[in-house]
Amino acid sequence: MIKTSEKLQETFLEDIYSIPDGEKLKNCIQCGTCSASCPTSHLMDYTPRQVISAFRAGMLDRVLKSNTVWMCASCYYCTVRCPSGIKLTDIMYELKRLGIKYDLYPPQNASPVMAKIFVDTLNRFGRSAEVVLLSLFFLRTKPFKILNFVPMGWKLFQKGRIAVFSKTIEGKDDLIKIIKYIEKKGVA
Amino acid sequence: MSDLKNNTHKIGVYVCDCGSNIAGMVDVPEVVKFASTLPNVAIAREHKYMCSDPGQDTIKKDIKELGLTRVVVSSCSPLMHEPTFRNAVQDAGLNQYLFQMANIREQCSWVTEDRIKATEKAKKLVAAAVERVILHEPLKLKEVAVNPNVLVVGGGIAGIEAALQIANSGKKVYLVEKSPSIGGHMAQLDKTFPTLDCSACILTPKMVQVGRHPNIELMSYSEVTDVSGFVGNFKVKVKKKSKFVEQEKCKACGDCEKECPVERDDEYEMKMKKRKAIYRYFPQAVPNTFLIDKTERPPCKITCPIEQDASGYTALIAQKKYQQAIDLVRKKNPLPIVCSRVCYHPCETACRRGDLDEPISICHLKRFLVDWEMEKPEERYKKPEIKNEREEKVAIIGSGPAGLACAYDLRLLGYQPTIFEELDVVGGMLHTGIPEYRLPKKLLKKEIDRMKDLGIKIKTNTKIGKNFTLGNLKKQGFDAVFIATGAHKGLKMKIPGEELAGVFDGVEFLREVSLGKKMEVGKRVAVIGGGNTAVDVARTVWRLGADEVNIVYRRTIKEMPAAAHEIEETQKEGIKITYLTAPLEIIQKNGKVSGIKCIKMKLGEPDSSGRRRPVPVEGSEHEIKSDMVIAAVSQAPDLSFMDPSLQLKVSKWETLETDPLTMVTNQEGVFAGGDLVTGPATVVEALACGKRAAISIDRYLNNLPLDSKPIIEAGLGRKSKDDIPKIDVKEKYKDKPRKPRMQIPGLSIKERAGNFKEVELSIPEKLALEEASRCLQCGPCVECFECVRVCEAKAVNHSLADQTVELDVGAVVIATGFDTYDPVLAPQYGYKKYDNVLTSMEFERLSHAGGVTGGRILLKNGKEPESVAILHCIGSRDENANEYCSRVCCMYSLKFAHLVKEKTPAKVYELYIDMRSFGKGYEEFYKRLMHEGVLFVRGKGAEITDVVENEEEKGKLIVKCEDTLLGFVRRIPVDMVILSTGLQPQKDVAEVTRLFTIQRSRDGFFLEKHPKLAPVATATDGVFLAGACQGPKDIPDSVAQGAGAAANVIAMIDKGVVSIEPIVSYIDPEKCAGCKLCLTLCPYNAIEFNQEKKVSQVQEALCKGCGTCVASCPSGVPIQYGFRDEQILAEIEGALESETLAVNK
Amino acid sequence: MRYSYYPGCSLEATAKPYDVSVRSVCQALDLELDEVKDWNCCGATSYISIRELTAFAISSRNLALAEKMGNDLVTACPACYTVLNKTNIYMREKEDIRKTVSEALAVANLKYDGTVKVRHLLDIIVNDIGLEKINPKIKQRLDGLKIAPYYGCQISRPHGTFDDPEFPMTMDNLFSSLGAEVVNFPLKAKCCGGMLMTTDPENGLSLIKNLLSCAQDNGAELIVTACPLCEINLEAYQKKVNRKFKTDFFIPAIYFTQLLGVALGLPKEKLAIGKELVSSEKVLDRFYGGKR
Repeated sequence: MIKTSEKLQETFLEDIYSIPDGEKLKNCIQCGTCSASCPTSHLMDYTPRQVISAFRAGMLDRVLKSNTVWMCASCYYCTVRCPSGIKLTDIMYELKRLGIKYDLYPPQNASPVMAKIFVDTLNRFGRSAEVVLLSLFFLRTKPFKILNFVPMGWKLFQKGRIAVFSKTIEGKDDLIKIIKYIEKKGVA
Repeated sequence: MSDLKNNTHKIGVYVCDCGSNIAGMVDVPEVVKFASTLPNVAIAREHKYMCSDPGQDTIKKDIKELGLTRVVVSSCSPLMHEPTFRNAVQDAGLNQYLFQMANIREQCSWVTEDRIKATEKAKKLVAAAVERVILHEPLKLKEVAVNPNVLVVGGGIAGIEAALQIANSGKKVYLVEKSPSIGGHMAQLDKTFPTLDCSACILTPKMVQVGRHPNIELMSYSEVTDVSGFVGNFKVKVKKKSKFVEQEKCKACGDCEKECPVERDDEYEMKMKKRKAIYRYFPQAVPNTFLIDKTERPPCKITCPIEQDASGYTALIAQKKYQQAIDLVRKKNPLPIVCSRVCYHPCETACRRGDLDEPISICHLKRFLVDWEMEKPEERYKKPEIKNEREEKVAIIGSGPAGLACAYDLRLLGYQPTIFEELDVVGGMLHTGIPEYRLPKKLLKKEIDRMKDLGIKIKTNTKIGKNFTLGNLKKQGFDAVFIATGAHKGLKMKIPGEELAGVFDGVEFLREVSLGKKMEVGKRVAVIGGGNTAVDVARTVWRLGADEVNIVYRRTIKEMPAAAHEIEETQKEGIKITYLTAPLEIIQKNGKVSGIKCIKMKLGEPDSSGRRRPVPVEGSEHEIKSDMVIAAVSQAPDLSFMDPSLQLKVSKWETLETDPLTMVTNQEGVFAGGDLVTGPATVVEALACGKRAAISIDRYLNNLPLDSKPIIEAGLGRKSKDDIPKIDVKEKYKDKPRKPRMQIPGLSIKERAGNFKEVELSIPEKLALEEASRCLQCGPCVECFECVRVCEAKAVNHSLADQTVELDVGAVVIATGFDTYDPVLAPQYGYKKYDNVLTSMEFERLSHAGGVTGGRILLKNGKEPESVAILHCIGSRDENANEYCSRVCCMYSLKFAHLVKEKTPAKVYELYIDMRSFGKGYEEFYKRLMHEGVLFVRGKGAEITDVVENEEEKGKLIVKCEDTLLGFVRRIPVDMVILSTGLQPQKDVAEVTRLFTIQRSRDGFFLEKHPKLAPVATATDGVFLAGACQGPKDIPDSVAQGAGAAANVIAMIDKGVVSIEPIVSYIDPEKCAGCKLCLTLCPYNAIEFNQEKKVSQVQEALCKGCGTCVASCPSGVPIQYGFRDEQILAEIEGALESETLAVNK
Repeated sequence: MRYSYYPGCSLEATAKPYDVSVRSVCQALDLELDEVKDWNCCGATSYISIRELTAFAISSRNLALAEKMGNDLVTACPACYTVLNKTNIYMREKEDIRKTVSEALAVANLKYDGTVKVRHLLDIIVNDIGLEKINPKIKQRLDGLKIAPYYGCQISRPHGTFDDPEFPMTMDNLFSSLGAEVVNFPLKAKCCGGMLMTTDPENGLSLIKNLLSCAQDNGAELIVTACPLCEINLEAYQKKVNRKFKTDFFIPAIYFTQLLGVALGLPKEKLAIGKELVSSEKVLDRFYGGKR
């Protein structure tokens, strides 16, 4: 376990440092501005700051298995306030990617699924459509829960605010080509 | 060149191991072996430490024994040891410049990772040095004498320390301080860490020493504006801003302060308190004198043609000092009653309050004053006294405002003016032009009676040219003449039918009415024109009972020259204004006017006056029915009186020509002014003419040359918008509550009909007080001169001007200190949004016994805080602000915690990232505060909010932070937050850098010569640094640096001379083309132009040998000793040649 | 003035009213919008969060299409705005990203030279047109209307190109200049939870509750947003919030373009007013002849 964890650690670091301004991670002074500015940190198993200390401790896999990164709502407060110029939101994104890549994410948390579905629909149609998104989402996570959303969904539908059928764009094939190319490169 | 060097030289090469610094990466023996193979190398040696005495001795020994002619040492950077080895060479009797250093440490061993490569590079560097040193020539150090005087810039604790030390060593010190007192930030602090002694108690003794030190010349409220010269011989220009208080006279009694009506934020008190416009920087200020804040000057005053003290009397009214106010008005205005009724008040147009909502009703405030005076004239009217009587007589022709003003001022100077008036009424246009309902005759009479009462003679019914001529005035014993006969001749419309009965001239018409002649008016009257005369005529005719009055004007209301409020009243009175209409012809029915044939106009291109020229609309002719037509198009002077024998010069506009300011005509002793010279203008402009003439006549009668300077000094110069300092009123006064100007009480339209009662009524006191209190006092000094009145020492002098002095000094110490970070830039901390979020400097003043709460720590609501949070690192260690650590915040934050604990029972939180307590006694202080029970939270405060989430947070400020030791995000409710704001460079740091040609480091502070070994010197010889201007520092460090800088300066001066590197450039006068390109490029202004030889010359003392001129000269004339082209080429050649050598091995 | 228009997926569905009002308002303000032909999803938050480079690639497709059209690219959706902006910046500044993405685009015979300016509609309206040019076009001043402009996150974070990331002001200034009374709303730039509402409703709801009560306590009758997700979260979930927290919020949230449209005197239909789940009738009818 430790061994793999160490190996992972290296790959993770490499990966993080490769994203724009990723190296700034090294500048962290552990001041906690990110955690204190985060609207959801109180829901996280580890605070955003602790994510970085986990890096340094070589215990990142623990963090990935926690709900932390999946609680990030992309509000970018940490990014604009960080005194060390660390783009923590982007790092959270990168960690989600890694989590999915290495199957390191909390089973009980739904976000990864949502994210995956989002990607699938998009790859299918070229545009996203909430209906398809939501239905798929709930079918895969908590089918009964979908009922909670039905009343609201129905109202929205009446107001003409739900596109039942997803538009498929003409340039879809081009889009797929583009996506495939990137995937092939294996840098996604 | 290789044959040249063969066996002509003996070179010694010495390669240093520098312990393992070099030897660790470079194979030194290999390099030595290589070196010994190089041509001309007599000896090559290795040494563990070349810089050690034994190392140096080997060089000396070899020079003596082997007769070396050149020396190369390859070791560290020349910055470190070049001087060491040069001295060694010199000691051994060889010129020190026949030496070259090859840097194989910083530029080789430290920066190369491969041993082989490092060794090869070292060889190349050595070879290069060898090739080069052959071409070295012996150079001599230059020496210049040092001026023993010293300039210290900045009067904070560092500057004070430096100044005292230098002064104590007997040198003259000029201490220049920007603010009105020395003391700097330290003078604002309450206590000092870690000893907690009172800042003032330890600082003020030093300030006092500076103040009375015989060797220190203190220049406060002053700034360095220019620096030239070079080490030992600087020339410095210092601008001493006027304090408007004579330092030597001021007893600092504070009477002026009590009397001053103007309040401003007190910068020293961090704007938590107010100060007056005349103020003392702080009670223990040195120098301890008062000064007046005149930074923005009142526009109302400076735009007035006679510089009436508008802001002054407005302020005095607001204080109910009506007597002082009216006295102030009368000081400059000979006809205040008139002006209070009829002035066109440019002051109100210029009033800065106008940019906010509406201008102050300045003119009507004057009206309030004169009415107040007339209630009890016997006690309130102060008859001016005439100091010294003189018998010279001055003839003044015309009793209009210009003539009266001239006569009045001359009389006050003691002269005997006589006014000659054609009519049997006095006042010129004031009487015959301005209708009764605007300016009641009895009020005019009152002013004129007062003039007579002063001894001004007025001869009515005497028409110049009829009863007497200008020519014989001199014979009648008049020593000077002032002509101001005005412009009373109405101009014709130049259209058919003008001669008809029922067609009148406006000016004439008004004159007749004013002289009491019964005028018949028609039923439907048309008035032609758009000026004040037209409006006056129309309103007069209306009062005389015309059924319909119609003003016909060829442009639109926007272009109408008449005063806006007059036009308004006209319309209220039901008078019709027909715009864009011009008369073509007056139509008659059996010899009487029956109407006007008119044509519609439209606006075309702007004309010379900037107003758009009206052009007729084809086929729009029409008739306006009317049985009386009055033409009020314009007036001109009537020059018929002119005595040809005088040959006065007349302009093409039929006006008299004079000098615009001295008012003298082309005839000696004859002056002129008013409408006669300016053409139809306003009362206050006429007054200005008269007053100017009075000054000139006075000079003339004292046989002084006529001069516009005294006239400008008296505030009678031509006014321009540029005289008004520009400020962003909306921004500066954004917190000022908006309030419309007062409504002037007046007669209802019904009350006006058929009579000539004055339309505007007196202003009730309450209204006037409210209006006066609307004044922004934007000067800030309002120039009410109350300070002058109450100052027993007669120290206040509002006309003191700035002055610039030039100093000669040998050395400069820059101690300009720091500025603090402005947390407004980090809005998440709610500074300025929440009352109880303070900066550190604000807390210093709050806790200071002299501060706003007398030293009690209170919230804005006056209550004691139950909990206080102190947030570290605000604006420090932050890429969004300043990246560096400010070094003092941790400690002063602890001090704050202690003060709060000492003075209140409050809980205190310290939110820190890392606690930095490095100094002597600092860690102990930290421990002490822990024992005092301060609650330390490791985590940076991220946000302050008043949005509460539960009961216990109600009414509190919530500090959001992560307790990083717990991994919890906390919401800490407190009553007060102190932001430990960091230190940053002064705002003017770039300017100072430029002035003294020094550099700044990345953090923006001034750059020292060496971070460790030369912390107080700069790259510019003779310029030294002290205190926080070089980087954030606490008091002990600043004092140490101040003393250190002083020691540097004293050592330099006591040596008496400074030696200057001979590595300077030289321009051959034979070859220089004198294009001056190098002059403009030289960063040290070291090149001057020799005017007679027409060539550029290098001042060697100034030259830093940067080579810019050498590189830039189009004809390649300049050479630089020690860096001649052939020397550099040889160096390159050496490096390249050695490469082949290395490969061949 | 002419701009290329990128609606984004939401404006075709739940945020249809936003799209409708955007088009009407721009017409009224003489802004010509040319919709980018055959645009694709920008990749939004969920996508970029797990396929960064891919997201950049597909965004670049949109940018490439827009580049052909010349003008600035304007969107009304902050999420799209942020992704497109980020892509744009990285395509300009980060060599490696530019390289791979350009290769990918080339596969579809597309290229992007990084010349497009990505703008948010609010920026265009307030800064390109400007309040003084808008005011004369106003048919219906909003005097007496108490509003809480809500900015949410991504309109000013992370890039903060036209407004302050901590205390944005553009909507405040816009609507107060139209006569509306902007109430104190300290949470105006705080997060509404975004996708959290779907993935973790329990916690999402509490964030929304804080926003709603802050707006209501400060006396707002209406919340104005510039973001599809914020709008849906704020109004569509009010019932749930009320049920969960025993509150009784009934405070409509509409798009800033809808309210601007009201001031420009446009009819309800052209602004798709009435499509919201919390009816704005009571608040807005006074501007349509109804009395308060």
